[in-house]
Amino acid sequence: MDFILNPFVTLLTFLYSVFNRDMVLAIIIFTVLIRLLTYPLTAQQLRSSAAMQELQPELKKMQEKHKNDREKLAQEQMRLYREYGINPLGGCLPMVIQFPIFIALYQAIIHALASTPLQLIDLSGRLLIPGLSSVIPLDNLWLGMNLSQAPNLGAISISNPVSIIPVLLPLFVVVTTWLQFRVTMPAPVPNDDGKPNQTAAMSQSMGTIMPLMYGFFALSFSVGLSIYFISSNVIGIVQYALMGKADFRRVFGLSSGNKMPTPPPSKIEGKATSSKLSSKTDPKLTAKTGVKPTTPKTSSNGTGKSAQKVNKAK
Amino acid sequence: MPVFRRLWTYGAIVVISLLATSCVGLPTESTWGDISLIGDTPNILLSFGDRIAQINPTDGSLVELLDAQGKVRVDEDDNPRPWQVQGSGNPALHFYTRPIRLDDNTLLTAVYEDKLFEIDVPRAEIDNPSGIALPGHIVANPLLTDNFLYVPLSEGGLLALNPSDYSEIWRFTAENSKGMWSPPLLVDDTLYISSMNHFLYALNPETGEMKWEADLEGAIASTPAFANNALYVGSFAHKLFKVDLDGTIAAEYPTNEWVWGPPQVVDDMVYATDLGGYVYALRDAGSSFEEVWSRKVAGGAIRSTPLVTADTIIVGSRDHNVYWLGRETGEELIKREMRGEVLSDILLLEPNDTIREPLIIVSTLANEERLVAFSLDRGERRWVYGV
Repeated sequence: MDFILNPFVTLLTFLYSVFNRDMVLAIIIFTVLIRLLTYPLTAQQLRSSAAMQELQPELKKMQEKHKNDREKLAQEQMRLYREYGINPLGGCLPMVIQFPIFIALYQAIIHALASTPLQLIDLSGRLLIPGLSSVIPLDNLWLGMNLSQAPNLGAISISNPVSIIPVLLPLFVVVTTWLQFRVTMPAPVPNDDGKPNQTAAMSQSMGTIMPLMYGFFALSFSVGLSIYFISSNVIGIVQYALMGKADFRRVFGLSSGNKMPTPPPSKIEGKATSSKLSSKTDPKLTAKTGVKPTTPKTSSNGTGKSAQKVNKAK
Repeated sequence: MPVFRRLWTYGAIVVISLLATSCVGLPTESTWGDISLIGDTPNILLSFGDRIAQINPTDGSLVELLDAQGKVRVDEDDNPRPWQVQGSGNPALHFYTRPIRLDDNTLLTAVYEDKLFEIDVPRAEIDNPSGIALPGHIVANPLLTDNFLYVPLSEGGLLALNPSDYSEIWRFTAENSKGMWSPPLLVDDTLYISSMNHFLYALNPETGEMKWEADLEGAIASTPAFANNALYVGSFAHKLFKVDLDGTIAAEYPTNEWVWGPPQVVDDMVYATDLGGYVYALRDAGSSFEEVWSRKVAGGAIRSTPLVTADTIIVGSRDHNVYWLGRETGEELIKREMRGEVLSDILLLEPNDTIREPLIIVSTLANEERLVAFSLDRGERRWVYGV
């Protein structure tokens, strides 16, 4: 798959040559570009997760109503998602796409920072801009660490403060991942009985597992990848803040679910078709999200028939 | 919904493509092995991966270890012991460089893992298991003279050690040093060393003091070839250079890709290769190179120095092939497919008491074909050594 890897390697090397031959700076700029490219997915994730959160009371009611008919429950849930234009997996896509990107970036870092003869031979022919050969081999040392290798914890010495950086980097990865999660994920909306709902519980566990997992990656893979994680997290927080979606009070546990900022109605591609449904929709939901199912001129499938069938079935 | 479907399709394509990208493997070894000869009726000494082995040039078998009475040594299971040194401890050692003969019974070898070891030849064992620590990895052969052992460091400069006790005499560290990946060259009273920082340096071999430096515009991964009172060397600037002994660049020739291996100079002809798979035959016209022919020979990089014989030029490539080319025109005469990439220099073995015909010895990165012997004239396989 050189046609994917080679542009990554070339871009990274190009940024290195442009930005003062500084690999760390190149990785940060690279991350900004990746973040900009994946912005539509990020926005979608935000919309989906907020809308999913707000639909929880409605979903809960459905679960109670159809608790003995799983098939019917699934149908009803899918109908609800369809009517509000929510892709139940939409919130996962940006997270899922992060994995292959950081795997590709990991490969690009290792290939671009070629530190052995075989790696350097492998790099020849990958650079798509001929003039970039003049910067090869790239400087792979940063604060005494080899950017292409995993942090060397064995080199830690109390007498040398710089040697603690290999420990600090994975720690920063964990902290910034956790921060991003806290700041950007919508606060959980409790059930009527005051207990956290299923989605909230899942989010909570993700918020614990993900930072630890990324911290493990930072320990196991190259230092350059840690730079990517940290800058990606920080840029993510800034990005959400600029969009007005970041809730910094959640970092200190000051924000409740009811005070969560709501997504603008125009962002939800809802196409609710049934006035019957809308009358059944939890008024709290409509009030909080501003997502109000509207009577469409056409049905969800564009024919106006299936939606009526659904309503009749009800 | 069509918008979502499209988004998912695009997303899926991106995810699958990027995941596939993660399957692009990295080389498992740091560098390629080295082939040299040892002994009066020479055996082949192969350094690769975690071992050094002596190979019998007649059939490609491992040379058996003999005791003082000339009898074959055996192990605990009564099996004959081969002449093989392995660095399979923890951490494993990697022997990529050519061992140096210190005396009849001792070889000196540098390992990638920052150390020098002495090998007892009759026992095929490392004499000093803890080794002599060096301040960096080694990927290039050290050079031994009467008074100095010069060791190039892959992430540093050039060390000059006292060969009797391995103490440091001087160290040359170039400005913005990016390492030295090729052996130094001693000509008369000057030591030449190439650096990955684009410069070729001429040093005083006694003191390490720099006499001159020449900027070759790109990383230099090979030792210059000395001939016609000049130095010939290529760089990653896609150029081959002729450098006078005062550091002046006398001539240069543009290549298609990075030049790695040193060129071979025969009279006024210079034969060079590049990592784009090209082979060049150039005439040294003093202040310029005249192209006699150039040809894209291989589908992969050619790293090694071309082996030039009376009528042919032989090169190996990353595309797993060895090529015999006509020396006059560069036309392909013979092509032999190998199991692995060919990056090491090819060795020519002249006939002697045990070998009836000239052989060329090719080393690949594939374990099953670590060494292959071909007849020089027809390219017929004679034997294979694998592990």
